[in-house]
Amino acid sequence: MKKNIYQPIKARIEQVIPETSLIKTFVLKPESEFSFTTGQFVELSIPGVGEAPFTPSSDPAIKERIEVTIMKAGRITGLLHEMQVGDTLGLRGPYGKGYPLDKFKGKDILIVGGGVGLAPLRSLLFSLFSRIQDYKSVILRYGARTPNDIVYKEALPQWGTKDKVNALVTVDVGSPEWQGNVGLVTTVLADLGIDAPSVQAIVCGPPIMMKFVNLKLLDIGIKPENIYLSMEKSMSCGLGKCGHCRVGKYYACKDGPVFTYEQLKDIHDIWD
Amino acid sequence: METYFLNNEDIPKFYGAITEVYDLYVPVKIESSVAPACQSSFRLPTADYLLKNYALLDKKENAVFNDYRCVEPTRVFFTYFKEEVCSYFTDKAAQEQVDGRPKAICGVKNCDIFALRIQDYVFLNAGEEDPLYARRRQNTLVISGDCPSFKETCFCQAFDIPAYPAQGFDLNLSPLTHGYLLDVDSDKGRAIVKSLKDKLSPATFGQLSGRSAKRESVRMRLDEHLIQHKIPKKEALQDIVLSGYASPVWQEQMRTCVECGGCVFMCDTCHCFLLSEEHENGLNKKMRTWDGCLFKDFTRVAGGANPLKMRYMRLRNRYLKKFDFFISNLGFQACCGCGRCIEVCPGKIDIRYILRRLYEEKYLPAH
Repeated sequence: MKKNIYQPIKARIEQVIPETSLIKTFVLKPESEFSFTTGQFVELSIPGVGEAPFTPSSDPAIKERIEVTIMKAGRITGLLHEMQVGDTLGLRGPYGKGYPLDKFKGKDILIVGGGVGLAPLRSLLFSLFSRIQDYKSVILRYGARTPNDIVYKEALPQWGTKDKVNALVTVDVGSPEWQGNVGLVTTVLADLGIDAPSVQAIVCGPPIMMKFVNLKLLDIGIKPENIYLSMEKSMSCGLGKCGHCRVGKYYACKDGPVFTYEQLKDIHDIWD
Repeated sequence: METYFLNNEDIPKFYGAITEVYDLYVPVKIESSVAPACQSSFRLPTADYLLKNYALLDKKENAVFNDYRCVEPTRVFFTYFKEEVCSYFTDKAAQEQVDGRPKAICGVKNCDIFALRIQDYVFLNAGEEDPLYARRRQNTLVISGDCPSFKETCFCQAFDIPAYPAQGFDLNLSPLTHGYLLDVDSDKGRAIVKSLKDKLSPATFGQLSGRSAKRESVRMRLDEHLIQHKIPKKEALQDIVLSGYASPVWQEQMRTCVECGGCVFMCDTCHCFLLSEEHENGLNKKMRTWDGCLFKDFTRVAGGANPLKMRYMRLRNRYLKKFDFFISNLGFQACCGCGRCIEVCPGKIDIRYILRRLYEEKYLPAH
């Protein structure tokens, strides 16, 4: 019998890590090895209840487990947040095209994340860290609304101490205890000391943040073909069939979810 | 391809041979007195054809040859409005879904065959075949026919889609005065013909030229009918929908849209669906339900953001999908000119008019 493209495999919840009041990371153990490349997405289902697309936040080199960082934002994500260790989810995928790591070799990599948008970028960072000798440098700029909204609070400070890695976290609104930078992530993108025309910039966050970061990146001389944007669309099937995630002549689920700005620049209203 | 002649009186035997193997669906004529709003000089027909199960017809003579496309889009035979695409995580033995006997569809027209190319592209995508669609497509016998007439809303020819099929069928019927020419273009079709051998004679030169003359006559009449609509050529479609992004036509035309979804559900090339989950009898099921981009939540994501908030954006989205996305990816438009969307629309939104407006706004700005 031919493989049924809609059939999920079982993935058991092994651990639930609270990140913020609205964000949790779920450590899943799929019933069989599960491979993905960084930037690709999966469909997670609560059996018999609902299904939604997510991009794994874990290291793609690990095949036995995958981690997915989920913000409570709607019906399915709300229900996922109620799931417990030991519960079983459905897992389909991976789908789409991820980050083209080959193109990043020998270059300065600028990674700009906003809010829970750091999730797919964490997976990318793990991939970059594992072959850091291949890249000139990795610069991370991460913005969250408040210090409480920062994800991966424990890992973040360590990343910045790695060789060739420069990380900076900023918050839109500080707090009395916050000693870091305050300001939108767009304010920490100048004077990076990089060779802009060859920089590979990767952006993931809410659409409004991506819109202004993209403008800023173009402004500092980064080329449209070197800006990689993660497009959040309503992907239902993940297979290029259901029609929900069309972006111009592309489907986010097949041709994306990672697009270069060069691919998107002539399409109207991409940030809506 | 082989071509035979089949006498009118042998049609029941033809149906009989098909029903040996298939559940046969045939066109049945439904009279209607609603005159089409049309300035054409022709008296255009008003009747409709519905597809019915031949075995269940009270009077077999109600099965007719349809002069133009049926009411139902052909895709209803390949994906159902709502159906289970898989059940999972259950101790119960996986049940192979059974569709029963394969189906044979009579009354398919060339617009429908064109539309099936779009459905095939979506559902038979290499390596990612939809199993239900693939099985139905493989098992179904497609019996098409020439169109000796057309409805007011027919506009296939505006996109260079002729009113008769040349390929994409198992069997094709071309009506002549005393019978039909029967084209056979597949092994499934040959199997039917084999059981009818004594009723068929090879087509004569006279019959073939008679068919050509009939086809040419329909072509000329349809061309003449379409002049008034000034529908842009297919080569201009992508260009005008892209340049017409800010056209007032979208706002203007959506005013009468009641979001009933008729246009997308009656469309033979529309294919969008939503996967959802159901739990029933201890089974977790993934259900596939037809969806449409004219509905307000079509592109809504978690958190409530929706790129197609307004009705005019959704109307425009439909045209961008049909005339930009598909032309870019497949090389031709996802519109077969069947006119079902025009006929079904309670708001009288007319694709022919919208395309004409987009063209005129681009090329005749003084208009």
